[in-house]
Amino acid sequence: MDRDDAERPGWVRLPGYDDDTGYQRDAGPWRGAASPRAGGVRRLRRASNWTAAALIAVVAAATGYFVHHASPATPTVTTVTGTAPGTGSTAGPGKPTLSSPVATSTGSGVVVTTGPGGVKTYHYRGDN
Amino acid sequence: MTAARYLTMENTWRRIDTGARTVGVAERAALGTSARVAAWPAHQLPRVLAAVDTELALLDQQASRFRPDSEISAICRGASGAQGGGSRIVSEGLAEAIAVALAAARWTGGLVDPTVGGALCSLGYDRDFAAIRSDGAMPRGPAHVPGWQSVRLDGRRLRLAAGTWLDLGATAKGLGADRAAREAAAAVPAGGVLVSLGGDIAVAGEAPVGGWPVLVADEHWPEPTSQAPDRGGRPAPFPPQSRGQVVRLVTGALATSSILCRQWRRGGRTLHHIVDPRTGVPAVGPWRTVSVAAANCAAANAASTAAIIAGDQAPAWLAAQGLPARLVARDGSVRLVGGWPATDDGLLEPPGICRTPAGPGPVPGSVALAVPAAVDRSSPPGPARRSAGRTPPGPRRSPGARRWR
Repeated sequence: MDRDDAERPGWVRLPGYDDDTGYQRDAGPWRGAASPRAGGVRRLRRASNWTAAALIAVVAAATGYFVHHASPATPTVTTVTGTAPGTGSTAGPGKPTLSSPVATSTGSGVVVTTGPGGVKTYHYRGDN
Repeated sequence: MTAARYLTMENTWRRIDTGARTVGVAERAALGTSARVAAWPAHQLPRVLAAVDTELALLDQQASRFRPDSEISAICRGASGAQGGGSRIVSEGLAEAIAVALAAARWTGGLVDPTVGGALCSLGYDRDFAAIRSDGAMPRGPAHVPGWQSVRLDGRRLRLAAGTWLDLGATAKGLGADRAAREAAAAVPAGGVLVSLGGDIAVAGEAPVGGWPVLVADEHWPEPTSQAPDRGGRPAPFPPQSRGQVVRLVTGALATSSILCRQWRRGGRTLHHIVDPRTGVPAVGPWRTVSVAAANCAAANAASTAAIIAGDQAPAWLAAQGLPARLVARDGSVRLVGGWPATDDGLLEPPGICRTPAGPGPVPGSVALAVPAAVDRSSPPGPARRSAGRTPPGPRRSPGARRWR
């Protein structure tokens, strides 16, 4: 609801208020010859738009930076980088999917071989 | 004259590139074998490794019979000294390790017995495996195995019969993997951990999608080995005939025992480290390698060792326990029992129902290995069961033992 408080004590009208032709928009003169007040409002709106755009851009850039550089607090941000096809990926809430064995179950993990000259060689196995 | 060349794996963690960037994997030498750790998310690997280091160091100090300064070595020296026997207070960690070993002995009807240490020493396995002499004379006869029922553990108070040498080899690595996996998973806020000690594997936390892929291998490397390349200490690829099978583990543990590993020679005979407590000499049976999945690695380790000793009765016993198992016969044929997956990439589903893991407590009598509840209802393999719960087994000799005297 519009309300004109111009007559309230302590309130001062903006300069050029009395020259405001806003009520003559139907006649079209406001477009080309805006009053000082209308021009101020437009400048303010334009400045606000640029400020908002700049803020959005800064926030987006900061968010992108932290997503890529911050240590993950939970496994949900675990990503696959540079993984050879078929060797590992993520699925579900951060859980990896492995296609190659990460360990080997063998008897005691040691095998002894005897080469030429009776040279014994101890191979620690347990991986492949 | 033979010479030993030891391809040493470093004692510091070495990162392993498995191709999966989301999972960190590292490996180092530990406990006379290799330790491998996998963790996701990969950035948590350093914290996981620190937790594993702590547990491995503790276990080594407590239970390694190859370290003269370990707690168990000091105790066994005392039991074999002039005074002999007697009781002493042990650390909580060693008490737990002995309690688990005794529970495994009870579970397997004495086929897995921690008092075979003396027999192993008499056969030449009295030092770290890498330091065993290439050959030597055979003992005049099988060593006396005092029997697990001669060991008394009440809380932290341990009493050994005179001359007893404990060897926790059938359970200690598994227990170490259980401890390390549990502590490592607790050290990180999220994700999952796999710990392998010489191929005995425990997992904790959340598994990757579809489970941890693990290669189950039957180490059959012919000798002499022109096929065994020297890769500067790096593991060589498996020969095609022992490629094994890839399985996936979501929970629980997986262990493999084999008579093909840790072999040495005495008196012109090839010996291995799995001693049958009934005979005091290496087990002779139809299986060369047995892999077992169980609720925890100590149970899997004990079951796979017992199966090697149990021989023909092993498949039925493993099936009765509900333990998925893969048994490789001496001729290379494979037998699967207990729901072990028949194909590559199959899911291993060890029984989830288990008792509270053993802790220090009155043994023998009430400490249970963390195994399925069905354990006590079925008949463990081997004639040793008949004497379980009665008198401690005395010296026993089998026809097999007499053969090599």
